[in-house]
Formats: sequence, structure tokens, C-alpha cells
Amino acid sequence: MSKEKIADKLYVVLRVFYILAFVLLFIPALNPARISELIPQTASVFTCGTSYGTLTQNFARAFSRGWVGTLTLQMVFGGCLCIILGFVAAGAGGCMSLGTTKLKKIGMIPSIIGAVVAFAGCMMINWAATDIKGTPKPDRINPMDPQNLTFYIILCVAMLVLSIVIFFCLPKVEKDEKCYIETKYQLFLLLLPFLALCIVFAYLPLLGWRYAFFDYKSGDTLSMDNFVGLKWFSFLFQNEATRADLVRVLRNTLAMSGLGLATSWCSMAFAILLCEIKSLKFRRFVQTFTTIPNFISWVLVYAVAFAIFSTDGFVSSLLVNAGTMETGTNFLMDNSHMWIKMLAWGMWKGLGWNAIIYIAAISGIDQQLYEAASIDGAGRFQKMWNITVPSLVPTFMVLLIMAIAGILSNGMDQYLVFETPYNTDTITVLDLYVYKLGINGGRVPLATVVGMFKSIVSVVLLFGANKISKTVRGESIM
Amino acid sequence: MAMTKQEKLDKKAEKEYEKKHQRQYRMSAGDWVFEIINHAFFLIFTILCIFPFYYIFINTISDNDLVRKGAINFLPQGIHIQNYVSMFNVNDVGTALVVTVGRTFLGTVLMVMASAFVGYLVTKQEMWCKKIWYRCLIITMYFNAGLIPWYLNMSMLGLTNSFWAYIIPGIVAPYNIILVKTYIESIPGELEESAKMDGATYMTVFRKIIWPLSKPILATIAIFGAVGNWNSFTDSLILMPDAPQLHTLQHKLYTYLNAASNLKSVMNSGAGTISGAAAANVLNAKTIKYTISMVTVLPILMVYPFMQRYFEKGIMLGAVKG
Repeated sequence: MSKEKIADKLYVVLRVFYILAFVLLFIPALNPARISELIPQTASVFTCGTSYGTLTQNFARAFSRGWVGTLTLQMVFGGCLCIILGFVAAGAGGCMSLGTTKLKKIGMIPSIIGAVVAFAGCMMINWAATDIKGTPKPDRINPMDPQNLTFYIILCVAMLVLSIVIFFCLPKVEKDEKCYIETKYQLFLLLLPFLALCIVFAYLPLLGWRYAFFDYKSGDTLSMDNFVGLKWFSFLFQNEATRADLVRVLRNTLAMSGLGLATSWCSMAFAILLCEIKSLKFRRFVQTFTTIPNFISWVLVYAVAFAIFSTDGFVSSLLVNAGTMETGTNFLMDNSHMWIKMLAWGMWKGLGWNAIIYIAAISGIDQQLYEAASIDGAGRFQKMWNITVPSLVPTFMVLLIMAIAGILSNGMDQYLVFETPYNTDTITVLDLYVYKLGINGGRVPLATVVGMFKSIVSVVLLFGANKISKTVRGESIM
Repeated sequence: MAMTKQEKLDKKAEKEYEKKHQRQYRMSAGDWVFEIINHAFFLIFTILCIFPFYYIFINTISDNDLVRKGAINFLPQGIHIQNYVSMFNVNDVGTALVVTVGRTFLGTVLMVMASAFVGYLVTKQEMWCKKIWYRCLIITMYFNAGLIPWYLNMSMLGLTNSFWAYIIPGIVAPYNIILVKTYIESIPGELEESAKMDGATYMTVFRKIIWPLSKPILATIAIFGAVGNWNSFTDSLILMPDAPQLHTLQHKLYTYLNAASNLKSVMNSGAGTISGAAAANVLNAKTIKYTISMVTVLPILMVYPFMQRYFEKGIMLGAVKG
């Protein structure tokens, strides 16, 4: 095998290492810098190397009493920073390896330097780890063996060795060769940072699904000791309380989504009726002001509700002034017909806005159809029913299918703001339930299980809806 | 030019025909009833949509004593702006305003720039494995790991109790990328080709051709992004438990609407700033809630009428699939 081919093969391995190194930076479970239990266990190398404050948040007492020198922690911080910078430099070298031979050779320089710097970072952490063991208060500081450090060191050494080997395997640079990356790789490299962001914020959370299989309370570490397999999955359905909760929550979710679906024709009717109005000015006026509520948050909708319906709000003061009531009532505390009320607020917020798409569709209808119908003697309502409505049905169907796909995701903002101690039973939807269970209640594994269940059902529904749309209309919605 | 006799006759006939035609379409009694009901319905619905804002507004500028008694229902009385002045002197509302404006500005600018650039890149068929990367970006729109894993991920990245949690996750917005991509595809490819002939790089093409030409769509996504940032509330609620100075205005409003305990301290600090002359207008619980609501909603109410066409363009574009 020629040297060049060996270099190409080794490059594949090296790039895999780089990707691995990048991912490692963000995984707290494999953080080599956790040399004491006082370092938060949710901190990854990336956090430790970028935020000295997070790293030392529990050390205030240890510093002031002199149990640990600040230098030790500064070494940890510096070490992490070196690892990050080293990996970044190495990664940059890796990116340059997509170019011509000359660029590959130049790229080897940051690769080698990066590996060395990262190695030095590991050594700094190693020094800090030995240093912290000499603390006078081991029971308070709880020094830990940074077992993952070995792994990091191996990775750095492997990167270094590979880089050097590749460097010598690369063919000689021809004199007039330029630094150049092929167009297709150039474009890919431009996209890469954004792809990385997307992976970090959209795919990395999937790692969190592992919490569903552990017995985890916030603050704990994940280790194989508290691996419980499918315990939480069966717990969710076997435990009386959670099962009752789940049934109630699903009932609320489906009821409110169902009501939303059942009234989704309203925005179509709104649009049709609005287009019957001849005066353009009046139409613009209505359209402008009925769409505003769509752009305010649910908190503000609640503020509006509060201003109108609370004890000293508009309705109460009107009724008191009129003498119908002695003192004001807080209508928001009334927990009857909660589903209908939520629907009404949803309509208040969204009706005008949802109508816009239909208004545009109506203006796209061929006017000749109406003229022909008038000549045939069709009245106003006949034209509406026989021309406008059928022309809008395709749009309506697409929106309906999308809405069915999102039946479990009705968001939590609306229900969170309108929730009171009295209406919890009828207002808690799936999203809100997960929030209360996981964030407020701290029952992370259980909430993760519910969330997983929701994500998977939603995706299945979406693909189902897409399939239906494909077979019925011959067009996919995604 | 003088008309011939025949033309004049034709014209006359036409006019008569039109008159007849119109008469035929004169509205019947039923039509009148329909028109009136229809107009009335829309008028009432419109009033329902804007009256609450008007009501809150007149309550913030009226005499606070009257407001407390619930006497201000349709018209303001004893107009003053003391409430707003006191509100800005209340520390945490000021900080919340700065945080919210900051995140709205920075988040929107970065999101628009990233969407434009990525939208341009994914129109390039020659990119290595373009389809895979594009799908990777787009699929995140339909699928997410769920609230808890998202939260754990953010805390793992050190983004809890940090201002950057508002900005960084929002930079890559798949939906906006689709919109920009669709728009760029409608720009004639010859423009880019000729620039390429003259030796322009991708970056130059993006800066000199794509960016200026796609301004309409960028304005649309910017306005949606800004409203979204201004309104976002759950991220502040979930990610900033220990950093009250980073709470957004919406979150502050939510806190004030719910907790009476906060109000007392605000009232005290607010009262301190009021001189004797304006002592009648001491803040009360009601006016504080209303004033913060107004501060939160005002930017949207003021911007919206001017930006309406961008908003409407946005939903139309939404109908175009990726």
C-alpha cells in the first residue's frame, strides 16, 4: 500500500477522534476535571474551562478556610481551557485536511500543537488532582480520582501519534501547489459551525433519555449502581396515583385539542364573512386589530384576563356600579367549564390571525366563477357555499392534518398562566404535567418517560398525517 | 377626438345596460339584514380584541385612587404619567426591560444572519452530502427530545442562569432557514453565475448578491423572531431559577400578576420616589400590575400596525413548504 493511501485511511480514524473529542467536551459524566465532589456534577469540560464561577461555586468556604488553595482550582480551570483550545486547534487542523496536500501539511501543525496543548491540560488537571488529595479536610472536600483523565490522555496521545505518522506519510508538496479546498468541502466547512450548534441543542438532548432508565434525583450522579432498567416505564402505568394522573392529563389534552380541532372551521368562516364586507377600509381595520392578540404572549393574555375578570377588574366594577353585585368576584378563580374557557381564549388570540391564510386563498379564487354563478342566478349564500367553501377546503385539510399531528402538543404557556389551585384537575395538559413533574417536582426519570412517550407518539402521528396527505392529495405536507 | 354618431349611441346603450344591471343587483331586505349582522359581528369582535388594551391603558394613566375604586371603565380621569415614572425607578423592572431588549435585539440579529447564511448554503447542490445535512437541520423542527432532557442539556452546557441561554440556542432556526432557502431559490441563478465567472467566492456572492436581494424575507423573519424573543417566557421561567436579574419582562409580569408579596416591596420603593405633590398617585397593587402589562405590550402595539404587511407575508410564506 502506498504511503498516500495509508495517510488517507489514518485520516478517517483521526477525524473520528476529533468528532469524539468535540462530543466529549460536552459530556459531564466523563469530565476529568471533577477532582472533588464539590465540583458540580453537571459541569462538563466545556463548562469548567469557560466558567470559573461555575467551577468554584461550592468552594467559597474551602477557599476561606484554606482547605484548598485557589491555585489548585485555577490549574483545573486552566487545564480545561487548554483541553478545549487544544481540541479546537486540532479540529481546525482536521478541517484543513480536506484540502490539497499543501494545506494538509500546514493543517498538521495545529493538529500536533493542539494535541500537545490538550495533553498539557490533562497533566495540569492531574497535578491538581494529586494536590487536592493533600487537603486537611478530606471529608469536606471529598477528593475524587479523575478516572476519565486516563481516557483523555490516551485520546490526546493517539491524536498526537496519528498526526505525526500522517505527517510523514503525506506526499511531498509540489512547488506550485496552492492552498485550496475543493468546493464541495468548502461549502460543508462553512455549514459545519451551524450544524454543530444544531447538534448540540437539538440532538445532544437525546442523551438525556438515558435518565429514564436510572433512579435519579437531581443532584445525584448517574452510575450503573442506580440503573433500574424499565422500572419507571412500568411504574408509570402500575402506580395508581401516576396512572390516574396520566389518564386525567390525557383526557384534558385530548379534550382541549379536540375542541380546537372541532372549531378550526371558525377561522375559515371568519375569513369568508369578512370578505363579504364591501368597504375595504373597514376590512383593513378589522384585520389589523383582530390579529394583534396573536402577537402577545400568553402571560399578557392572562394580564388582559386579569384586567377584565379579576375581583377589581372591568366586569366586576361594572356589575358593582350597576348594583347587581355587592362586591367584585374573581371570575378567574371560577373553575367551571375550564375547557370551553381555554378554547375561548385561544379563539380570542388566534381567530383573526388564522383567518389571514384563508383571506389570501379567497383573493386567489377566479372571479369568473362568481360571475358565471350570478348569471345562473345564484344568490350570495349559494355562491359562498358552492364556490368559496370548496375552494378553501384543500387549505383547510392541510391545516387540519397538521393540527391532528400536533394533538398532544398544545404547549404549556396558556395552561400554566391560567392555572389556579382550583382548576388544576381540568387544566393540566401533557406539557404542563411534564413541567410540573420534572422541574417543580424533581422527579426527573418519570417526567423523562412521559416526555419520551409524547415525543414518540407525536412523531408517529406526524408521519401518519403525512402518509394520509400523500395518499389523499398526492402531496406531502412535510 | 370627436366620436362618431354610432359610437355615441353605443356608449348610451352601454350606460343604460349598466343601470339596468345595477338595478337587478340592488340589495334585498335579506341582504340588508345580513350586511348589518355581519358588520356588527366584526365590529364587536374587533372591539373585544382592542378594548382590554385600552382599558388597561386608561387605568395606568388615570388617578390612582379612582382606579383602586374601580371607577375608571371607559374614559380616563385625572391623567398623569407618574405610574410609568415610578415603574422605571423600581429596580427589577428596569433590569428586566434591559434584559428583554438585549435578548430581542441580539437574538434576532444573530438568528437572521445565521438563517440567511445557512439558507444560502443549503441551496448549493454541490455541497458534500448536502441532502443529509439539510435533513438533519430540518428534522429538528418536527422532533424534540422533550422538556426535561432539554433542560438537563442546557444545565450540562452551563447555560442555566446565564444570559447566553436566551441567545445561542435560537441562532439556528430551521423553519426560518426553509423560508430563506425557498426565497433564494426564486432569485435567478444567472446573477450568481455571472459573479462566479468574475471570480467571486461564495462569501462575496452571499454578501454582495444574496443578502441584499433577500432583504424582504429577512425583514419578515426578523420581525417574527423579534416578537418571539420579546414574548418568550418559559425559557426564563425554567432556566433562570437562581438569577432573578436575568428574568425577562414577561416573567416579571407573570410574577407580579401572581404574587402579592412582591407588590409590597415595589410599592414601598415606588412610593419613595414620589414627591409630595404627586402623593395622591401612590402606586397600588392594581396599577402596578396594569403598568407592567402596558410596558410589556406597548412595543408590540406600537410596532404592529406598521409591520403588518411583513407579518402577513410571513404566514403566506409559511404555506410554502420546504
